[in-house]
Amino acid sequence: MTVQGTNSAIRVGASILRDYLVLVMIAALVALTALIEPKFLSPENLTNIMFQFGPLMMVALGTTFVIIGGFIDLSIAGTINLVAVVTISLIQPMGQVPALLTGLATGTVCGALNSVLILSSGALTQAEALFMTFGLSTVYSAIALLYSHGSTMHFWDITASKSIFQAIGSGSLGFLSWSFVIFLISLAALWVFQEMTAEGRAVRLTGGNKTAARLAGVRISRSIVVIYAIGGFMAALGAIVLFSRVTTASPVIGVGYETNAILAVVVGGTTLKGGKGSVLRTVMGVLLVVLMSNCLNLLGVSTYLQVVAEGAILTFAIWLDNRKHM
Amino acid sequence: MNGTGKGATLYKILTKQKALIAILVMLIGMLFSHSNFYSAFNLLQMLSSTSILLILAFGVTLTIIAGGCDLSIGGIMVVAGIVSIKLMNAGMPMGLAIFLAILFGTVVGFVNGFLAVHQKTEPFIITLGIGLLLTGVAQQLTNAHPVPAQNPSFMMIGNGYFHGVPNLVIIMLVLFALTYWLMRYTEFGRNLYAIGGDYEVARYSGIDVIRTKWLAFVISGTMAALAGVLLSSELNTGSAVYGETTALVVNCGVVVGGTSFAGGIGGIPQSALGLLVFGLLGNSMNMLNISSYFQIMLQGAVIVAIIWLDSYAQKRKREAV
Repeated sequence: MTVQGTNSAIRVGASILRDYLVLVMIAALVALTALIEPKFLSPENLTNIMFQFGPLMMVALGTTFVIIGGFIDLSIAGTINLVAVVTISLIQPMGQVPALLTGLATGTVCGALNSVLILSSGALTQAEALFMTFGLSTVYSAIALLYSHGSTMHFWDITASKSIFQAIGSGSLGFLSWSFVIFLISLAALWVFQEMTAEGRAVRLTGGNKTAARLAGVRISRSIVVIYAIGGFMAALGAIVLFSRVTTASPVIGVGYETNAILAVVVGGTTLKGGKGSVLRTVMGVLLVVLMSNCLNLLGVSTYLQVVAEGAILTFAIWLDNRKHM
Repeated sequence: MNGTGKGATLYKILTKQKALIAILVMLIGMLFSHSNFYSAFNLLQMLSSTSILLILAFGVTLTIIAGGCDLSIGGIMVVAGIVSIKLMNAGMPMGLAIFLAILFGTVVGFVNGFLAVHQKTEPFIITLGIGLLLTGVAQQLTNAHPVPAQNPSFMMIGNGYFHGVPNLVIIMLVLFALTYWLMRYTEFGRNLYAIGGDYEVARYSGIDVIRTKWLAFVISGTMAALAGVLLSSELNTGSAVYGETTALVVNCGVVVGGTSFAGGIGGIPQSALGLLVFGLLGNSMNMLNISSYFQIMLQGAVIVAIIWLDSYAQKRKREAV
């Protein structure tokens, strides 16, 4: 009896540890880096982190629903490329507000186009979605290259007012950066969508078991359009935050964001099997990824080794995720 | 509902022989272009430049037939190519350097197999992660600059000719014959088809499913490393940039040929045709002086169209049952 008791206590302890592994890892990482490199906790570095995590956070929040819905989206890199060059080029001729709105609309349309092609072909598996969105990513990137003639556009070439983008890039509201405020608003909106709307529940059911969801009266095709459209919209928001911060937009600005977003979502604990997960978990995942890259930077690790670390953590996280749901 | 009339026959041909039709359309289309596409030199050149993709595809085909897929081949390819050159530049004999580089691919394939088959993770996402990791390794090894090879005899492997035929084409044909024989005439090959067709049925009929499928990943990794060595030899440099999209293009090419992600159907000749579509597409577009951005777009569109058709055929099959 007592042996069983301790056994189950260990099991509960292990499952808590597994669930909050990311938080433990974040804490350990912060403690370790702060010990080795005191600059880590300096206000300058913390502000730096606050500005740094914006783009990846937006993109990963959007990807969360695609993954909860049981799909995957590799088209994000292409969407970011396209939105960045389209938006920055329209500031001069159209003014900043129309440019911003066109950018967000472009991203949403790209996302919706993914879902239309997936639905019309009847693709139901993650693998099919992966390859199709990869192909679309190539198409979106190529359109971005054709549109911009492969050149990088800079803020300083724009004479029209670009105050909104400058504020997003480097402005602050009190002690919070504007990009952080945008993050809080998007997180709140997406959390409400996830927890309090029928569509949010439908997305989770779709990810859990498509046939069961359909038989239960869930319109899974609508859910699929919604998750990809949200993914595209958030990618567009990420693109705008990104090029506002670096003040330039090149047609290859989004490279790597798709895998990093999947990495952040999975590390956060949303399962790739679909049906379970939360945007709050993604926030933790993104924090871990961004903190890790910041720590490695401070410790003087090369950018290339950081890619190795990301790949290793992604592989490990997928393996762990799989163990949990076996 | 299904299988009646000309429309259904046409549909069947379209979905089954997409690659062959695409190749024929391009070959006929190029008849009307005023370029020297139809010169022996150009055709041989095209075959030679597609050889490396074909070698990658032969390995990947085994994993796809077994119901998996391998997206780490791009990473394996660049790392193996860089490793072979680095070892040679450090003074190692050529044969040993090449052997070690290929062995590296075998080891990665073994790890892939462990994760995807033994641990039952989703193969496409876990190999994507391994591929990302290896891309980082390749960049770290080269500091993101190409590494030139200093051994002239190494360069001759990928650029030499044997009785007027490029070495690469000969190596590719040998590997084609080898993998074709493996899939067609051996127990291992038949078992792979069975596993891809229905994993559980294969297991209950006494096939050592885990070991067989695992071996497919090992072969895929080994072939990818071999392709990497050949690529380095052809370019005479080791570089980290070629692996980015290669893996996805090759996996799509295999599907273009008719090997389905659902597993259990397809074959090595089909994959060869599928990859030739991409080789021919690139070559024709170069001949027609189409801008490289537009080429990227067409390649993406072809991938989307083909995956769409593959999924649609799956859907029809599901609904027919």
